[in-house]
Amino acid sequence: MLQFDEIHGPDGVRPHYQQLMDRLTGLGPAELTERFAMLESIFRTLGITFAVTGHEEGLERTWPMDLVPRIVPAGEWAHIEAGLIQRVRTLNLFLEDLYVGEQSAIHDGIIPRWVVETADGYVREAHGIGVPAGARCVVSGVDIVRDGEGTYRVLEDNLRVPSGISYVLENRVAMTRVLPVAFARHSIRPVNHYGSSLLRALRSAAPYSASADPTVVVLTPGVANSAYFEHAFLARQMGVELVEGRDLLVDDHRVYMRTTRGLDRVDVVYRRIGDEFLDPLVFRQDSLLGVPGLAGAARAGNVTIANAIGNGAADDKGVYPFVPALIRYFTGEEPILPNVATYLCWEPDQREVILERMDQLVIKPVAEAGGYGIVIGPHADDETLAATADAIRDNPRGYVAQEVVQLSTHPTFIDGALSPRHIDLRPFVISGETIEVIPGGLTRVALREGSLIVNSSQGGGSKDTWVVDDAPAEGELSSTPTEGTRAVSPR
Amino acid sequence: MLSRHAEDLYWLGRYVERAEDTARMLDVTFHHLLESPPAVEATAWRELVEILYLDQVFEGTLDRPTVSGYLVTDRDNPGSILSSVARARDNARGLRDRISTELWEAINVFYLELAAADLTLGVEQRAYALLGDIKSRCQLINGVAAQTMPRDEGYRFIVLGLMLERAEMTCRLLAIRYARLVNTGERMGFHAWVSVLKSVSAYEAYLKSHDASLDPTRVLEFLLLDPAFPRSVLYCLRQVEQQLERLTADGLQTDVGRAIGRVRARAEYCDVSSIAGEGLDSFLEELQTEIYQVADQVDLYFFRSGADLQLHTVQSV
Repeated sequence: MLQFDEIHGPDGVRPHYQQLMDRLTGLGPAELTERFAMLESIFRTLGITFAVTGHEEGLERTWPMDLVPRIVPAGEWAHIEAGLIQRVRTLNLFLEDLYVGEQSAIHDGIIPRWVVETADGYVREAHGIGVPAGARCVVSGVDIVRDGEGTYRVLEDNLRVPSGISYVLENRVAMTRVLPVAFARHSIRPVNHYGSSLLRALRSAAPYSASADPTVVVLTPGVANSAYFEHAFLARQMGVELVEGRDLLVDDHRVYMRTTRGLDRVDVVYRRIGDEFLDPLVFRQDSLLGVPGLAGAARAGNVTIANAIGNGAADDKGVYPFVPALIRYFTGEEPILPNVATYLCWEPDQREVILERMDQLVIKPVAEAGGYGIVIGPHADDETLAATADAIRDNPRGYVAQEVVQLSTHPTFIDGALSPRHIDLRPFVISGETIEVIPGGLTRVALREGSLIVNSSQGGGSKDTWVVDDAPAEGELSSTPTEGTRAVSPR
Repeated sequence: MLSRHAEDLYWLGRYVERAEDTARMLDVTFHHLLESPPAVEATAWRELVEILYLDQVFEGTLDRPTVSGYLVTDRDNPGSILSSVARARDNARGLRDRISTELWEAINVFYLELAAADLTLGVEQRAYALLGDIKSRCQLINGVAAQTMPRDEGYRFIVLGLMLERAEMTCRLLAIRYARLVNTGERMGFHAWVSVLKSVSAYEAYLKSHDASLDPTRVLEFLLLDPAFPRSVLYCLRQVEQQLERLTADGLQTDVGRAIGRVRARAEYCDVSSIAGEGLDSFLEELQTEIYQVADQVDLYFFRSGADLQLHTVQSV
């Protein structure tokens, strides 16, 4: 099977990596090991950790970031960026059409109604709740992989509460400290405007009735949540309050936060809790995380909830195969970024083929996230395959099958040397009045040799991701600072 | 500022002060008893539990190991030193963006060390050193807060909690230990008065401003009204009033402003010579009640916005 390596092509090191590789070779293994230790200590000191799910005690690990950055040349990035904008624009239009529009995509037969309405994240109660400017996916994280031929493909869309952006920003800061010279030799697009871009988008989605200076808050489930670090980080970056459900109240369909000077009106809630916990009057009654009446306030047009309620109807793995057709339908354009070939278990013909080819395909449960429940056919034993086949027959809507994508590899610093590991990319897309893509995104790397599972909860790491403008900053070579062993932060 | 943050800061101040006061009073009681006849032991422990406002919940025997264990290490006792510090740390953790890193570290390290130490053994064998450590850690936290926090709303809520807790504590000390000494006419003399003063680290300060004759009325006056001693009731109430004046948007023309004005004036303009006799119990009782009322008003004014609204509630399922 074809295998694409990001750095080493058929003719040696790819040109856009030449500078970086020269620098890394120049530093030598001992120095690289020391820099790697610095990297770890930066994250430990900052207390940047994440919780590993599936462990009783809520194990916390230091954020694992690799020493070798990933480089995306400007030309490739332009292609990715255009594809992401086209895709997110479509998904916003599809959701708007579904919940407050005429459902024309369904009526015109682009996607079957039953597929949409059986999606795990489809929310009946979201019908009729409008979102100013149609910005239903204010923040999207679209997972992109590169196949054996080097083609960028979309693996899945995350339109509910995608996380990881704080790591993109922290990775960048850490990288400037650890490899300042390599950094200075490239012309790298910055990412640190994320907070202000997000704030602008959230404000632009404020209700029409809000004042010219709308109040935005970040709603978190609280300190115990595994992504609390990111919630606090985003509130700080935007300069807005980080609130919990108990800080808010809804009176007469208006949302307020309790402050020491009384009640303050809230216009936009950037929520980092799932739909089912948002409002116990509408969703789960036992939720203590949400705010009673919040959904009603949104329906009355007095508050904007971002991302919108019910976005899960568009990022369901069973809806994913229809996205290319939705792009053609809503934009009249050909999809710029292709999907991964996907088969539908509920179509009898396709199901037969899937069941025959189980050992060659990837089987994904439609409702799981974080890499859980995925069966990679070529790596699975007969017992697992048989159990999965039974599960598919029992619940065909519950699974999709995909061709194995041999994710591209990228040299990664493991045990003192560079070895290839599989990677993917999660860029972050912000929808407000316009759609903006933050250059690069979170490159996730499967640290276990041969593994295709990149999720941090399952032993994945990350890389700083550089979108590099083509002309290398040659002029800076001669004026490069001394090659001291201790890096000094340029910030 | 979010009410939740303000409330957490306020209680952070209270918990740290409570831990310090508990350690000091426990320390004083220990050493007082070393030099006292065994007959007074149970009384001394009962009074201590009462001063700390735990007499309604404490169920053990009134002896040294039981009471000291209850006050230092018992996690089931919400007023124990360990519980107070644990709660202060929980609050601080949720306030990471509101307090200085130095303050968080001072509280976190204190808790981690307490939790790791063998406190039972410490109380039994080296109480003086242990309680001394606890006091100085609490003072360190207050010092770090004072040196690293901007004088904004957040800092004021910490001071508000601390001063209110302290005012309550000194007042209860007077109402219980002082009152008994006076009422029973117990001729404990010098020794007993020293321990009352030491309970609020007032002994040295008292000697400097008065002399070693330790006249009961003067001790009362000092602990109640000294304008310069940082643990006198009046000093604490003035501090509370000052913080509230800055914290309330409408100045002191509010329920909380009136509550603090009333109790501060009652203390400030009282005639010590007339209350030192018969009227002492009722005076101190009223003073305490009014201090509690201030705390209630603080709670209502700052932390319960919207509590008067008829909101949707969810039936628990």
